Amino acid sequence: MDPGRVRFFLSEVARNFSRNVIMQLTAIGTVTVTIVLLGAFLFTRETAGKIGNDVLHQVQISVFLKDTAGAADAKAIAAKLAHDRRVASVTYVPKAEGLAQMRDRLRGQIDMSLLTSNPLPDALRVRAVDTNHVDQVAAALRKMPSVAKVEYAQDAVQKLVRLSAVLGRIGLGIVALLIVTAAIIISNTIRLTVFARRREIAIMQLVGASSGYIRLPFICEGFLAGLCGAALAVALLAVARAQLLPKLALALPFVPLHDADVNAVVFALELLGVGAAVGIVASWFSVGRHLRT
Amino acid sequence: MISLRGVTLVYPNGTRALDGIDLEIAKGSFVFLVGHSGTGKSSLLRLLYREQRPSRGSVTVDGIRVDKLRRSKVPYLRRNVGVVFQDYKLLVDKTVWENVAFALQVTGARSRDVIRGVPRVLDLVGLAHKSRMFPNELSGGEQQRTAIARALVNNPKILLCDEPTGNLDPANTNDIMDLLHRINLKGTTVLIATHNVLVVDRMRRRVIRLDDGRITADEERGYYHAAGGAAADTAELPIMRYSVGPRTSSLLSE
Ligand SMILES: Nc1ncnc2c1ncn2[C@@H]1O[C@H](COP(=O)(O)OP(=O)(O)OP(=O)(O)O)[C@@H](O)[C@H]1O
Ligand SMILES: [Mg+2]
Repeated sequence: MDPGRVRFFLSEVARNFSRNVIMQLTAIGTVTVTIVLLGAFLFTRETAGKIGNDVLHQVQISVFLKDTAGAADAKAIAAKLAHDRRVASVTYVPKAEGLAQMRDRLRGQIDMSLLTSNPLPDALRVRAVDTNHVDQVAAALRKMPSVAKVEYAQDAVQKLVRLSAVLGRIGLGIVALLIVTAAIIISNTIRLTVFARRREIAIMQLVGASSGYIRLPFICEGFLAGLCGAALAVALLAVARAQLLPKLALALPFVPLHDADVNAVVFALELLGVGAAVGIVASWFSVGRHLRT
Repeated sequence: MISLRGVTLVYPNGTRALDGIDLEIAKGSFVFLVGHSGTGKSSLLRLLYREQRPSRGSVTVDGIRVDKLRRSKVPYLRRNVGVVFQDYKLLVDKTVWENVAFALQVTGARSRDVIRGVPRVLDLVGLAHKSRMFPNELSGGEQQRTAIARALVNNPKILLCDEPTGNLDPANTNDIMDLLHRINLKGTTVLIATHNVLVVDRMRRRVIRLDDGRITADEERGYYHAAGGAAADTAELPIMRYSVGPRTSSLLSE
């Protein structure tokens, strides 16, 4: 490529970009806000999805045995369930082990030393092969003579999953609206530049510049605005991840935050891509409308 | 070189600017287009560089059916047709050199060709020594010469001038006309829309007269006022012309 040509082109882009700095900053700021929210939204959805999945797969039936039932009864039930095709696994948890597990889980949060006796009954933990079978399995268990109580969170979990799907769709809608807003602001900024340069554009058209050539600096301007905004957003998100996530993990000990599962580099590139694409599309339309006259 | 057949132009607001124009202009000719204000001179020129499309009829420029030209091909037509206006249309933040170079740069010329082409046309219009000046540091005549240099730098076969001397005093007017004459002698077809009686009568070239969008006279070696036509209409006396402020064309205004 001819260096003189490249220099001329770059100087045109730089002039455009510096022509209305305030508007340009507004456009960049809007993109930043949009991309930050998009990033936060995608991260939350990913994490919530994982949590939901985990919880769903964890749906297990807790079978508490009557005090009168002994280890033999428990083993008999376990053996019977082992033949049931709907059952994935059965674990016998004697009351002492149950208490130990509970101690582990709540370590540091509740002072377990206050407990002087073990309040837990012997229990079985049953997992169904399919979450849809949980109801049937639970009903069968309830009918057994040595079973005191059968508990599972099927309903609650399914409601939660459904709710998070609805919330996800609402979030997606908000992000979509924000992206449209950012596009409109970028497009208005470009239109200002187009307006400021209408004389030059008219002369370009008069002397025979192709519409692609006339468009290019404006497309570049939009691309730059989108990219700058997205880069700023990615930087903010990176800081937030470093600063907030550990605190969040501390505050919500029961919630498994799968930070490591999100590939940060790919994620950042995706967000940059979204920003740049919004800028390009927005400027394409705003210049296109002008050139058609 | 230029051929119009049955051309009618009706603007979207209903104004009939041109009405059944038939016109042939040979390669290398030097032609004046005259007529009262609002008779369609600028409109006719606009058809030739595809700023307008005719409502009816055909427009052929250098063998190309301009009225049927695809939008994406229009830039190539424009590189072959230089256009000059009364108000020069220079970029005030660029020097003479940059204004002329602009026409090459935005059509994707290599910088080698820019460095060769710009001095060539600046020499032709006699502005080589002022190439670093800005338009507001130049006289009207010099600004128009810059505009002509810009129109010529892509080596067009045709040069269209819409009242090129409209804002100039007689001395500058004569300079510009001499320049356009020299350009014509080099083979470029030149078509000038003008109100300037003195210029037309001094040059004695082909004169096409428009009245209300129709051609009412077309004479080789003609005068501004067609033979046997009405006497000078005071509104068109040159002395009046200079008192009129700059006319702005519809293409650009500021
Ligand atoms: N863009 C436009 N839209 C509607 N009507 C127009 C437009 N441009 C010109 N006209 C009308 O078309 C007619 C011819 O205008 P044109 O500019 O071609 O005249 P002209 O001969 O160049 O006049 P002048 O000598 O004053 O420059 C006029 O009645 C004018 O009002
Ligand atoms: Mg006119």
